[in-house]
Amino acid sequence: MIRKLPAVLGVGVLGLGLAACSDTPPPASDREPIGVDYSEGEPAADSSEEWTLGTTDAITSVDPAGAYDIGSWNLQYQMFQQLMTVPANGSEPEPDAAECAYDDPKTITCTLQDGLMFANGNELTSSDVKYSLERNIAINDPNGSAILLGSIMDDPASPNPKLAPGAVETPNDTTVVFNLSKPDTTFLKVLSTATASIVDEQVYPANKELADTDEHSGSGPYMLTQYKEGQQAVFELNESYGGPHPGIAPRVFVSFHKDDTSLTSAVKTGEVDVAWRSMSPTQQKALADDDIAVLKGQGSEFRYWVWDMNNGAGTDDAVRQAVAQVIDRDQIATNAYDGTVEPAYSIVPPGFGGQKDSFAEEYGDPDADAAEKILSDAGVETPVALKLGYPQEHYGPNAVDEATEIAEQLNATDLFDVTAEAGEWEQYQTDYKKSAYDLFMLGWYPDFLDADNYLSPFVVDGGFFANGYSNPEVNELVDAELGETDEGTRDETIGQIQDIVAQDVPLIPTWNGANVAAVGDGVGGVQDTLDPTYVFRFWMITKS
Amino acid sequence: MSSSRGSLPRYIAIRLLLIIPMMWVLLTFVFFLLRIAPGDPVTAAAGGKLSAEEIARRQAALGLDRPLLTQYLDYLGDVVRFQFGNALSDGTPVTSLIRDHGGATLTLTVGAFLFAVAVGVPLGRWAGRHRDTAIDAPIRILGIVVYAAPIFWVGILLIIAVDNVLPSWPTSGIASPTAIYEIPTRTHILLVDAVLSGDYVLDVLQHHVLPCLVLGMLLSGVIIRLVRINVIQSMQADYVEAARARGIAERKVVRDHAFRNALVPVVTVIGLQVALTLSGAVLTENTFNWPGLGTDLVDYVLARDYVAVQGLVTFFALVVVVVSVVVDVINALIDPRVRY
Repeated sequence: MIRKLPAVLGVGVLGLGLAACSDTPPPASDREPIGVDYSEGEPAADSSEEWTLGTTDAITSVDPAGAYDIGSWNLQYQMFQQLMTVPANGSEPEPDAAECAYDDPKTITCTLQDGLMFANGNELTSSDVKYSLERNIAINDPNGSAILLGSIMDDPASPNPKLAPGAVETPNDTTVVFNLSKPDTTFLKVLSTATASIVDEQVYPANKELADTDEHSGSGPYMLTQYKEGQQAVFELNESYGGPHPGIAPRVFVSFHKDDTSLTSAVKTGEVDVAWRSMSPTQQKALADDDIAVLKGQGSEFRYWVWDMNNGAGTDDAVRQAVAQVIDRDQIATNAYDGTVEPAYSIVPPGFGGQKDSFAEEYGDPDADAAEKILSDAGVETPVALKLGYPQEHYGPNAVDEATEIAEQLNATDLFDVTAEAGEWEQYQTDYKKSAYDLFMLGWYPDFLDADNYLSPFVVDGGFFANGYSNPEVNELVDAELGETDEGTRDETIGQIQDIVAQDVPLIPTWNGANVAAVGDGVGGVQDTLDPTYVFRFWMITKS
Repeated sequence: MSSSRGSLPRYIAIRLLLIIPMMWVLLTFVFFLLRIAPGDPVTAAAGGKLSAEEIARRQAALGLDRPLLTQYLDYLGDVVRFQFGNALSDGTPVTSLIRDHGGATLTLTVGAFLFAVAVGVPLGRWAGRHRDTAIDAPIRILGIVVYAAPIFWVGILLIIAVDNVLPSWPTSGIASPTAIYEIPTRTHILLVDAVLSGDYVLDVLQHHVLPCLVLGMLLSGVIIRLVRINVIQSMQADYVEAARARGIAERKVVRDHAFRNALVPVVTVIGLQVALTLSGAVLTENTFNWPGLGTDLVDYVLARDYVAVQGLVTFFALVVVVVSVVVDVINALIDPRVRY
């Protein structure tokens, strides 16, 4: 996101009305947004020419042990297999390199497909699977995602964690058994993420990452044949791929762009065939105006406001509830995002098992009178002074509009005296932990597609942002849903958690984003891969 | 009696020794400035995602919890040994960055210099010869405007204009993806590699036009003003008057006497524009998605990647200092008075 300073300065200082880039992918619903005419997209063909994907995502590492970001993971999904995979627009993992199933909430058994090979010709066995996970944990890169493998670590809090003894067993070349340290019904989904990518133990060092410029060898549908940092990556078909989704295009280029101005320019000139992540509403509109097809799929980005419950006005239940009663999410979506985002009424986005719009059920339509009653019943003196915090650039220019919109909505009731204050991202993170704001903005992309990824990090003992919220009942319910294998029971528990959160209001959800791509002529299959996983499946894309 | 005070070797030795305190001050400034700025590589990358405990653990893993003085002394020790380390945010060795991306910055700056000289010298000469006329005024204004206009602003406007007028003309990147893939790497300078391979030369040149033009405009502003003022001064010199008195044609007087002599100080000053060019390259590269060291620098600053920023700044500083010394030495060779 970053990496966008000059463009942002140019737009901000000179007021040209051009949108600088944003790391916010747009809309999430079927509702027709204002200004952007989303297209349907062409179906994929049986054969394909080579094509180019343009993106603003930065790459931290090509090695699966070194990355925990969408850009890096997206490259890894093309070149490595995982045991399981979440199919496009699906929610449950399906077999990829293996077929896996829970024996009980603490045990998973996987059986590898026959004849799996790495692109270099080496055989892929259960030993490679265990080695890949053990290595990821041992390297424990500060930029990596080993933290997701906590259920098979000896001591997740240790600075030097290791694979727990007996956590991964390989009784034969095609069987892998996971013995989890605690009931964890999300672990199968973790195994479908890039953090569980299977690497060749004869190529990848045990205790350090392979340099990005070295020869990487996976068993995925494509092989990485060139990587020039900050410029491009080139993939070619892996002829020895033996998984469920072989690629079609013989070669795929990935062109890295610093901002969405450069990216949209490249798709207009035809230098990239697909522009994906992250285009501001303004840029989407500009592309649509130029007759470039802008496609939209469901996303999983989530924007929310966190109450500081350690100090200040946020310690009062009535104040938090009254604010939740007043906020008009439709107006935020319309006025701040040109209708390119979808109002959120739960901390779990639509599409996840157990999701329910608890905030809508609890508070109904925005209602200043109801808010006034909440405050007067609790004996709160009005107007309540509130300080809103938001990052100046981190979430793109529209975040400023969102903060302004919320402040105006609250001030319009005369129940609140709100000031909104921007912070530079680094300073902002320090400030909100020091109770500089009563209510502060944050955003989230899920690590894996499960409702729990929107619950555990947020509502258990203050969440990762340590906002002071703690409800033993919520903690127990989260533990219960994590250990529950019956889908119906688990969904019910997840619903209960959302209901309690809507009553307690430790945070306020505002909107869910979408997965958007701009597509040049003759490119098919893009629409089908735009889903909440943000995996851009090269194997589904064709160009004629 | 001869004195060593004004000798050239002594002058060069002093200039070289001065590099050490200059670099030390600069590196110390950069080191502490980065530490004073809020944030660190871990919070920049994952601050909105991880708990405070996990962030602290990752900071410790990178050694960011060590005493500042320890980190500083380690850093200086590495610099003395020319070890720039690996970027904290992505693990890339800084030397690899310089090798792989330095070529792009080099071609950009050289291209900009060529453009600036090609435009700035004749315009400056023309304006100087026609001082305070209808020719001079617009050129003077042009010189000031192109120097003062922010590069990223000019760049964005140019991209928009070219998108509308020549929709197929490339406005970002150093070459098309296919060209980057197909051109074999020999020198790490894509244009040179393209010429050596004989393929995609036009493709690469097309991509160079806009960035070189934008950065070159900045430099041409300086050159126009310098050439103009030196031509004006030369035109008033005695030797020019003498040439005129000998009946030499005015055009020949300007070309062979005034202009040639006016170029001597200009060449020196142009050499000292390296720092300006590099700072301009940072903005130009970001505007045009140019894969050079300037782009890297901005990325790593925003990622709070201390190691990468320190390494790149050290490299930039070395380039500026070395060029400055070379210019000083050339100057001393041309004009012995500067040695004293």
